[in-house]
Amino acid sequence: MRGRRVFVTGLGFVSPHGERPSEVFERLCLGESAIRLVRSGTAELGADVLLARVDFEPGNRIAKQDQVQMARAAQMAVVATRGALEHAGLLVDVDGPEEAAVYMGCGLGGAEILQHSYGRYFLRGNRRFRPTTVPLIMANGPASQVSMRFRLRGPAQTYSIACASSSVAIGEAFRSIRDGYAEVCVAGGAEAMLNDASVAAWQGLGVIAQHRSDTPSTSCRPFDLERTGLVLGEGAATLILESAQRTAERGAKPLAEIVGFGASSDAHHLTDPATDGQERAIRMALLDAGVPASRIGYVNAHATGTKAGDPVEIEAIKRVFGAAAREVAVSSTKSMHGHLVGASGALECAITVLALHERRVPPTANLTAPDPECDLDCVPVVGRDAPDLEFAMSNSFAFGGSNATLVLRRA
Amino acid sequence: MGTYAFLAETLNTKYGVDQEAIKPETALRELGLDSLSVVELLFDAEDEFGIEVPEERAVFHTLGEAAAILDELVLAKEP
Repeated sequence: MRGRRVFVTGLGFVSPHGERPSEVFERLCLGESAIRLVRSGTAELGADVLLARVDFEPGNRIAKQDQVQMARAAQMAVVATRGALEHAGLLVDVDGPEEAAVYMGCGLGGAEILQHSYGRYFLRGNRRFRPTTVPLIMANGPASQVSMRFRLRGPAQTYSIACASSSVAIGEAFRSIRDGYAEVCVAGGAEAMLNDASVAAWQGLGVIAQHRSDTPSTSCRPFDLERTGLVLGEGAATLILESAQRTAERGAKPLAEIVGFGASSDAHHLTDPATDGQERAIRMALLDAGVPASRIGYVNAHATGTKAGDPVEIEAIKRVFGAAAREVAVSSTKSMHGHLVGASGALECAITVLALHERRVPPTANLTAPDPECDLDCVPVVGRDAPDLEFAMSNSFAFGGSNATLVLRRA
Repeated sequence: MGTYAFLAETLNTKYGVDQEAIKPETALRELGLDSLSVVELLFDAEDEFGIEVPEERAVFHTLGEAAAILDELVLAKEP
């Protein structure tokens, strides 16, 4: 490990399992799925789709006149960030730390606004767009709004790397503190693209899970022989990252420490993953952390539940861990919260923080018949205590071939 | 719902304006809405009533005047 130490001092969620960290983690460890079959779309074009929605209402947490200038993803990012700042003890009235930088992951941006705007323009022939259309649609909406709502004056940056967006955002925030560019960062992700047209576009990819008619909530089955694909989710998660010095100076209690970040590209295929690229990202993260693979007790996998994708990650883990692969617990919480795309890295990193803090690992839900190609300890069905858990890892492997791995340590 | 009633309700529920402050003779600027929000309010009315407010018609100061313009456009709308 090189450079200054970086701690996670607060977490905030707007997730399919709720907002309070303790509630979210408990429900996940119990194997509870937030995936439902819902009616999506217009009367003519609607369909029943599997989604992990959030029952979200900003209420009075965001002033009404501010809400109208934010798309759903930005609203979720603001509420999750409020939670994280409160959790870290850094919210003073309505303000966060003035010097904080913002690192956000977001895949699409104001997807529902885009849909609505195009509908007006093409279907109704309204020539004029609302003045707020551009700022509401832009992918840096969440980062900008977080910066404005909490008066954070460091740089606010958005990483758009599909499924790896917020993992890279957290990794770069980690590097900025470690290398002395910042003392405190708000790092996370937000995604809300469950509007019917975006969902239909994803269905066109042919990677969405078929719904199991008896129990739709069990349809996302990473590592299972009967897996048929991924389920889209929405939400936001924010982590507060601080230098060790700043944490100590204000007497804050860290939740976990970020110790390594590795990233790579497959340079292979637009949607199919490559073992080599994933392997390199994992190795790089471990090297960055100065931690051997054998010390990793838990991996929060990227695994989305697709036929092709899951075994590639297992193979990559085997190549890096060698014999130690048999000992590590590997679970995919996407089995329960779905794939949050731009926010997935942040949600899953935050879950990994809680796993270290509680010394408890969440399961891969619905794993009742493990695929022989995924023959590691994938923590089937229910979570378990991990009394010796010291180091953990979170993977995100994206369309376009971008891979990101974070290594964390119990604080 | 009539155009005035729609404007009043939207001002309250979407833009957080106090019920008491909303009267036909109220100047929109006095309600704490910036110019961006006034334009947004017009768009909300367009969506609700299926009309388009031409640029040159969007001249009004009070809520009552805005409602009157919208009424004209609703009446003129092709069925």
